[in-house]
Formats: sequence, C-alpha cells, structure tokens
Amino acid sequence: MRYRHSRNKPENSLSPREIVAQPLSDKLQQNLDKLHLLLERCSDIVFKEFSFGPNRGRRGVVIFFDGLVDRKEVEVHLLKPLLLEVNMFNHDEISWNKTDIFTLIQDSIVSLAEVKAIDTLQDLLHSISSGDTVLLIDGYSQGLVAGTRSWQGRSVQTPENEVVVRGPKEGFTETLRFNTALLRRRLKSSNFKIESFVMGRVTKTDVVLCYIEGIAPPGLVAEVKNRLNKIDIDGILDSGYLEEFLEDNHYTIFSQMEYTEKPDRVCGHLLEGQVSIIVDGSPIALITPTTFPRFLIASEDYYERYIFSSLLRLMRTSAFLIALLLPSLFVAAITYHQELIPPSLYMTIAAAREGVPFPAFVEALILEITFEMLREAGIRLPRAIGPAISIVGALIIGDAAVKAGLVSTPMVVVVAFTGIASFITPSYNAGIVIRIARFGFLFAAAFLGLFGIMISLLIMLIHITSLKSFGMPYLSPVAPFNLGQMSDIMVRRPWFLTKMRPTMKGMENAVRQGENDSARK
Amino acid sequence: MTRITNLQIYCLLMLTTASLAYLAAPMVTIHSAGNSAWLTVIASVVPGALLIYIYLYIIKKSSRPFPACLEDCLGKVIGKFLGILYIIVLFWGIAFTLQYFVALIGSSIVPDTPLSVYIGAMLLTGYYSLKTGLENIARVSQILVIYGVPIVFLVVFISLGENLNIKGLMPLVDTSVKGFSHGVFTSFIFFGDLIAILVLAFFSTNREKVPRTLFNVLYSYTALILLTTMTSAMEFGSEYTDLIAFPALKLARYITISDFIKNIDAVFVALWIIGIFGSIMVKWFLACYTIQQVFNLKDYRFLAAPTSVTIGIISLVMGKNIIILQIIIHDILPAVYAIFYVLIPLIVSGVLLFKPAPAANTADKLNNSAA
Repeated sequence: MRYRHSRNKPENSLSPREIVAQPLSDKLQQNLDKLHLLLERCSDIVFKEFSFGPNRGRRGVVIFFDGLVDRKEVEVHLLKPLLLEVNMFNHDEISWNKTDIFTLIQDSIVSLAEVKAIDTLQDLLHSISSGDTVLLIDGYSQGLVAGTRSWQGRSVQTPENEVVVRGPKEGFTETLRFNTALLRRRLKSSNFKIESFVMGRVTKTDVVLCYIEGIAPPGLVAEVKNRLNKIDIDGILDSGYLEEFLEDNHYTIFSQMEYTEKPDRVCGHLLEGQVSIIVDGSPIALITPTTFPRFLIASEDYYERYIFSSLLRLMRTSAFLIALLLPSLFVAAITYHQELIPPSLYMTIAAAREGVPFPAFVEALILEITFEMLREAGIRLPRAIGPAISIVGALIIGDAAVKAGLVSTPMVVVVAFTGIASFITPSYNAGIVIRIARFGFLFAAAFLGLFGIMISLLIMLIHITSLKSFGMPYLSPVAPFNLGQMSDIMVRRPWFLTKMRPTMKGMENAVRQGENDSARK
Repeated sequence: MTRITNLQIYCLLMLTTASLAYLAAPMVTIHSAGNSAWLTVIASVVPGALLIYIYLYIIKKSSRPFPACLEDCLGKVIGKFLGILYIIVLFWGIAFTLQYFVALIGSSIVPDTPLSVYIGAMLLTGYYSLKTGLENIARVSQILVIYGVPIVFLVVFISLGENLNIKGLMPLVDTSVKGFSHGVFTSFIFFGDLIAILVLAFFSTNREKVPRTLFNVLYSYTALILLTTMTSAMEFGSEYTDLIAFPALKLARYITISDFIKNIDAVFVALWIIGIFGSIMVKWFLACYTIQQVFNLKDYRFLAAPTSVTIGIISLVMGKNIIILQIIIHDILPAVYAIFYVLIPLIVSGVLLFKPAPAANTADKLNNSAA
C-alpha cells in the first residue's frame, strides 16, 4: 500500500508544472513515476518496458504516443537492436558493465538517422508529443530521442484556392516538414535558412521562419524573430493566429501579411528578400513584409510571357476598381447624376426600374447582401452540391426577384458583373477587403453621390498610405513613388530587364542578374 | 524623424498652388486683362521666379522653419505676433478654399444638399489625414498629383477640340497697361502659396535640390494655368468668361466624346475634390505647424480636432453666396497674399541679408529638431 502511494504520487509537494521543469533522474523508476503522473489519463501513451544486455540485467523503457510514430521504425530500428542485436556484441571485449551503455546505444546500436540526447522531462514530453520516441535506461539521467515521426496526413495536392494554368501545382500540406521540404527542394542553397520556434504553452506548435541569408535584410529577420518571441499564448492552431500578432496595425481591414498555399510563390518572395513563416498544422504560409499592390499579382504572372501577364494585370486592376466601385457609381448616377448617363441608356434603365418599390441604394444593398450570402453558402456547402446550389440559387432568386418587380434587371447586371470582377482578384484577403469596402462606398454614394464616393476613396487612400508592413509603406511603390518598381506593378516587367530585386530597407544584395560584389561575400 | 522626398514636396506644392488657381486664375486674369490674359500668365513667371529666389534665400540663411525664423529675424515679440497673424491668415485661406470649392459643388453636382454637409465631410477627411502626419500627407499628395495632373491636362486637351475660336486670344493691343499689370499681379499672386516651401524644405531628404523642385512647380503650374486660360478664352471669349464663376468647370461641361459621353462636369468636380483636399491639407498642416512653433508645443497632430472645428465655423460664416466669394477672390485674397506671402518674406529676406549664415552643423541640428 505504501509502495502504491509512492508510485502514484512521488512528490506530493510538487505541481505538474514543477515536475516538468525537473531534470531526468538516473533512477528509471523515479522517471517513470513522474511520467505516469504527468501523463495519467492519456490513453494514447505507450510505455514499453524491457530488459536487455547480458542476463537481461539492464532495464529500459521506450516511450511514445501511439499514432504519432512509425511503429515499424520503433520496432525494427530501436527495439530489435536492443533486444536481439545487442547480444551479438562480444561482451568480454566490451566489458559491458564498465561501458558507457548510453553512448554505445546512441552511436552503435540504434540504426535511426535522427538520434539525440535530452536531459529534462520537459524535453522528453515535447519530443514524444512531436512524434519522436524516447528511450530511457536505468542508471542514466539522460534520454535518447529517436526520430520516428510519422502520422497520417494529407499528401501534397494542388491548392484549391490558388489554381494556376501554367506553373507548379504543388501546394503546402498540414505537415510542417513536408512544407519545408517543398521549399528546400526549390532553394538548394546553404543560405536558405529555416529557423525553428516552439509556440503555444499547450499546443507546443512548431513554427519556422524561412529566409535567404544575404538577401533578406538582417533587420527584418531580427524584427520578425523579436515579434515571434514576444507571443505568449496557450495555443497556435493556424498561421492566422500569428498573423494578428505580427502585423503592425491591428485595427484595419487590410491584411499586412500575404499568405499562400504555393511553395513556388513563397520561394519567389524569399528571393525578393521577404521572409516566410510556416506553422505546423497549417497549409498556409505567411509572407512579410508585403504591400497592397502585390495582392493584385498572381504567381502565374511570372511564368507566362510578360506581354500576356501585363495585359492580365491591367485587366485585374480594372476588375479591382469595378468590383470596388461599380455598384456605388451606378447608385450615384441613378440617384444624383442622371445627366451623366446618355439619354437613350437612361431611358432603358428607367423603364426597367419602373415599378421597383425601392430606391436604387436599397435595391443594390439587397442584391449585394444576397450575392454575399450565396457566395458564403457556396463555400460552406458540401463540395458536390455547393456550386450547383449557388448557381441555381442565383438564377432562381435573381429571376424571381426581377419578375416580382423587387429589383430591376440593370441592377442585377451590375451586381453580377461586380461579383465576377471580384473573383478576378488573385488574393483572397484582398477580395475580402473589396467586399467590405464596397458596402462603404455604396452608403457614401447613396448619401452624397460622387462627392461621397470621392471622399470615401480619399479616406481609404489616407488609411492605406498610413499603414506599414514591418516598416515597409503599405502602398509602395505607388507611394512613396518608385518608378523602377512601378514597372513591375502595373505591368509585368520582362525577366531580362529585372536586374534588381525590389528595394527593401537594409537589403544587402539587391542584384538579381549579372555581377554583384555583395553576392560573393 | 519625418523626412519627405523632393518629389513629394513637388506634389505638395503643386496641390497647394494649382488646385485653387485652376478654378479661379483664368477668371481673375481674364477679368483684368481680357484677351491678353494668357500673356499675363506667361509674364507672371518673372515675378514668380523672383519670389522663389526670395524664398530660397530665406531657406538658405535661416536655421529654423518659417514661423520660427520670424522670431530670429524680427525679434521675439514681433515674430510671435506675426506668427499668430500667419495662423489666422492660413486658417482664413483654408476656410476660403473650402467654401469656394463647396460653392462649386453646390452649384453644379448636388444642389439640394446643405453646404455644411460637404464642409463637414471634407474636414473629417482632413482631420484624419492630419492625424496621420506630414509623411502620410506627402504620400497621399504624391498619388493625387501623379494620377491627377495627367487627368486635368487630359480634360483641358479634350476641351481644346470643342468650338475653339482663336480670336479669343487677340487682339493684344486692346488691353490697357493697367489691366495687363493687374492681370500679371493676380496671376502672380497665386505663387504666394509656394510659401509652404519655407517649412517643407526643412523636412527634405535632399535640401540642395529644393530649388530645382520649386522651379519645376513654377513651370508645371504655369503650363496648366496657361493652357486653361487660353482654352477658356478661346472657348467662351473673354467677355463671357468674365461672367462665368468657374470657367474650368464650364470647359468640362462642354466636353463630348463620340456624342455619347456628355455632361461630365460632375465627374470633373468629383475628381477636383482630391485637388482641393490636397490644397487644404498642406495649408492645414502649415497652420498647425505654425501653432506648434509659435507656442512651443511638442506636436502639431493633436491640433487636428480643434482646428477642424475652427475652420468649419470660419468657412460657414465666410460666404453665404458666390457673390461674396467672388469679391473675396477679386479683391481681398490678392491683398492678403501680397502682404503675407510676398511682402513679409521680402522684408525677412532683407533682414537676413545682414545676418551671418548659420553654421552648417548648427543648421543640421536645428533641422533635425524641427523635423
């Protein structure tokens, strides 16, 4: 009875947090007692106790979480050598009892590539939570961590939100190491650095900061690390958590970090001196610093011929303006500035609006809200029926509303055209900004016509220019104006003319093509 | 530390000088010089250049921005007194610009809305802009000028194709010397808004190139006003232009593209909001910065809220109708500009003639503190 009491509560006075902070003991039983206490009610934990060596005189235990490890690796490369192959050593020569068995096992017996020693319970818990297997041996106050991580995860697939016609079609997955491997495969340079952080007091999430040394400004890298280190939260479940912590201005609808599921896009940004943050469990990589004009650029632009890409960019910019302003301009023209509309066109619109009980603003608002609902429903509905429901819904509701005389046909055309234009924006977060801002412009147009739209535009402009992303002006190179970089914003600059990287404060190596002294250092 | 580039200074100065002048200068010069108005615009380049040299001399010789350098030159009491007068004049100028533009909006695009709504909306936007600081105002102005000026030139060029009559520019001999001189004076007086350089130069990243920036403003401004004046005179004739409150707006109204796009004056006025906003913002910043300098305050941005109320009140009581505004623009504005933006800087430069130039490192230190 006394024994059981001792086994369950080895150190009554210590809390689990204090126990975790303790170093490993050289007595295996003490370590096991502590671990049993810490991991009680964890049904997925596996303790495999065994004896090995001459006469089975040495006790050991292998600890791992079921489902996070490759059991075959544990059995073949860890347990089998210890239980069987260790007996093949010539014990007379080795003089087993006098040998440092821990080092012997680490160097000669375990046949896994990733093996390291740890000496605290905290490290042990972190290792097994990460999918590694820990071996504890009686008589040693160290544990041996064997890299046996393996779990069921999504394989590399084409990202659904960033579809390209030309260019790589691989996308990130939820497994961090797959993602870093996708980057490493493209950036075969020792200057490509992947620095690790563990974040979240409970989740202990692995987070990596990727950058290319010599290209990314050191000040930027230091600032990102500084901000990452300041985050103190219980859990990080997705990169979205970090985005809110890292951005310069929290009170804005504009995202100050770019995100992508495409490794080639991340590599492109790293080559321009930016840094990327990838979180284990999230297929979305964050890229910073970023600027607003970049949200209108698709990674595909750099794979297509520059003339075609430039035309697409111009179209995208026009679509951005249409998605933002068309409904409000239409409402302003219908409500206040009828003289702007050619008479014949105005007659057509007026005839179509005859009998509609609502003012143009209310009509536009109803249709915009309906459209947003259909769009959201299309995303949330099961994939097989989502698109069908949203198309049928749009057709049926639109047709019925027009026939019922609730809305006019020109307004349906305007809202539908706006909707199509908003889908052209390659970045999802820029698309959200457009969707929100469009309502603001609609209200301004309803109350003050073109004057209201211009004032709203000015306020938006002042707000955007006041934003910064890790110290970089959010609207650069438009403001502050930089003619050199503008040539790769409005249109796509040909590769043969892209001699330099985009200017960034503190960048040491700005030259992309040709001779460069700083690149040699 | 706030720093702005010379391109940004160019944009700020273009906004502050050209926005109001584009609307008013053709009318006032044609009123004075008739068909020779376009010549007065060209002739005003000479006094304009001289004024620029005066400003440049003050920048070169003074170690502090303009409101503070008044104290250095004219003594603390007179300097502070003049500083306060400048604050009043700047607020008056902002309120007038606002009221004049609001009258333009009210007369053309949305006549039924109370003017106070427009004034309130403009001041709210200005307040937000001023709170974000000079650096941001400079960035916004950069966008407004780089995209706005080509549009303005486009409007003028398109209207060149409509019913032009070259007789509007002739005969030159009909104009009296007095009328011509008055035309040159009224055209030149708008250069007074360049006084902003006496403050902005101290924030420049490259002060050596400020003279070039100023002359670029002079050339661009002259080209814009000359083209607008000539087009107005050719389109409407000098007699009719004299009667039009806003010739530039009338020009836009006459534009027809493919007999389909017509009556785009509302679009023009809407676009001009950004120009007037820029002009107001530069003067508003100057006014707040002057208050900061005169009363030795730590910052100017907190003044955005109280000053916006002040400007709103002055603007509302200033002009109840366009007639009062026309009187102000023809008679009062030139006098105020002549005294405060030409005469006093001339006196200050005269005083500075007899003062030793500040030591380079002292000047830099003071610049930094000013910035």
